[in-house]
Amino acid sequence: MSIVAEHIGKAFGNPPVRILSDISLTIPDGDFVSLTGRSGAGKSSLLYVLSSLDSPTEGRVLIEGVDITQMSSKQLHATRNVKIGFVFQFHYLIAELTVLENVLVPALKLHQEVSRRPRAENLIAKFGLSDKMNRYPRQLSGGEMQRVAIARALIMQPKYLFADEPTGALDTINGEAVMSILQECNTKDGTTVIMVTHDPDFAKMAKRQIRMADGRIISDG
Amino acid sequence: MIFIALRYLLERKKQTVLTLLGVFFGTMAYVGVSGFFVGFQGFMVQQLVNNAAQVHVEARKDYLTEHVLDGPFFGKDWLHAFWVSPPAGVEGFQEIQNPSQWYQRLAADPRVEAYVPQLSAPALFTLGRNSVGTTIMGCDPKKQARVTTIADYMIAGKFTDIAVGGNRIVMGDELMKRLGAAMSQTVMATVGVNPVPVPFKVVGRFYSGSRGLDLQAFAAISDIQRTNLTPNQVNEIGVRLKNYQDADTMARTWAMSSPERVESWGDQNANILSVFAIQTALRFSMIVTILVVAGFGIYNILNMTVNQKRQDIAILRALGYDAFDVIMLFFSQGMIVGVIGGACGLACGYLLCAYLQTIPFMVATPSNPQGHLHIALNFKIFAQAAFMAIFSAALASILPARAASKLTPIDIIRIGG
Repeated sequence: MSIVAEHIGKAFGNPPVRILSDISLTIPDGDFVSLTGRSGAGKSSLLYVLSSLDSPTEGRVLIEGVDITQMSSKQLHATRNVKIGFVFQFHYLIAELTVLENVLVPALKLHQEVSRRPRAENLIAKFGLSDKMNRYPRQLSGGEMQRVAIARALIMQPKYLFADEPTGALDTINGEAVMSILQECNTKDGTTVIMVTHDPDFAKMAKRQIRMADGRIISDG
Repeated sequence: MIFIALRYLLERKKQTVLTLLGVFFGTMAYVGVSGFFVGFQGFMVQQLVNNAAQVHVEARKDYLTEHVLDGPFFGKDWLHAFWVSPPAGVEGFQEIQNPSQWYQRLAADPRVEAYVPQLSAPALFTLGRNSVGTTIMGCDPKKQARVTTIADYMIAGKFTDIAVGGNRIVMGDELMKRLGAAMSQTVMATVGVNPVPVPFKVVGRFYSGSRGLDLQAFAAISDIQRTNLTPNQVNEIGVRLKNYQDADTMARTWAMSSPERVESWGDQNANILSVFAIQTALRFSMIVTILVVAGFGIYNILNMTVNQKRQDIAILRALGYDAFDVIMLFFSQGMIVGVIGGACGLACGYLLCAYLQTIPFMVATPSNPQGHLHIALNFKIFAQAAFMAIFSAALASILPARAASKLTPIDIIRIGG
């Protein structure tokens, strides 16, 4: 099973501005891909299209052989809930929930907050936040909040993890800690990780680097 | 989603409480105002249906109009008759045409609880230098006491004493005051067409609180028939029903099959009932206005919350929560406020009504011995209040909730929330 993009194109606005042009690629299970390139190259746009957050203007995306552009809203959200995890540059934690409750938000959708609680506590402990389990986001540092966001992305044991500049708002130490977590997810749990990054050092930590420019893939390897 | 919704509400306690207070006061006001108005109307209706007959049958008298005799005089071959002196006067009957047929019909009707034949006549009472013109009602006291509550209003003597014999009379308190009469005194009465005053002994006094009724007098029907020089005449029949709400229907039915004028208590008090209808309309519009304002409070707060929580909406959609979940997140906030505010409003509305019932408000009357406000505490008022609180909260919540559900995560994420 894998993620397959077939002749993806994306344009928006009036007159249309082309963001992605004829992109085709296959990401096999267990891969760790970094999308790199200058600002405006289309990295994040491609990430959003591959992850179902955005829809392509042309082409299609298949996840596990299913065309996500043809899925119903219910199927799409179910897929996002169970099979896909997201980490963004901004943590997007819910301010009114504690660390533990934020991590369990995806499980709340399926009423699995009780059964998934041990895993949530394990993830929080693994990321060095055991003593902060009942604290609110406003009581955490930037790095700590990003780690909570990653724990939230992993609570449902997703097959695919999409990360958009996960270290963009972090200092070096916290950035390295986040990259370490992503690598561990990939190597130990077999999670397929697709990550957008500006940092060439972090890009090299991936198994495969896809470079983009002007909405096209210019190198893949 | 209710878990997250509750957290949102608890995080901004002041806003939540203020919004809740709007629904609370609106609901409490509805219960209190409705309890007051409905209670007052109920009290007045009870007065109307108890103090007089619920269906009133009387000999028909019609006022002659200008063209009422055109047909009898000119047949069909006329276009318009111009009268030099148009006909005027009253045509009709002085008495009920076939009272025994009425008695049979009323006795056989299972909806009729009681009836009383009556002879009503104008009377001039004189005591010394005082004279008062009023109406004297001749009746069978036992039957009269079953049709109206007149016997309950006696403050001296017994109503049935008028049937003992020998021209006995029971007078209203207001009539006795104007005459300056006292119990056991004899007053002179000039009744109906009889120009000769006839002595009547006062054997009873009643006070109903209704000025019109308290100016009247009652005597045995046989005494009035003799005094009025109209033996065996009956010109009215008062009817009491098992269910007073059937009065309109029954009056219409009986009116179609008899020459008499048949009116329900509603017909006779149409002006009062129209005032009640206006009161009810005013009550509803006032309370609806209050709840609409409370609803606007919920709408504004939720609109602000949707704007403030765009990032939360984005991440929830990314985590697999669909549009319906987002609607429920915001809709449930409004409904929680509406339900809690409404429930508190109902409870405090009940306590308010219970307190209002203890306030002395009007002069004590036999029908209202404590002189307190009559407050209605019926289920219908509470159900209406609860419905309006929940409906206004629901309507105010659904619009911002739907707007929130239309936000796409990608748009929020692209612009950084």
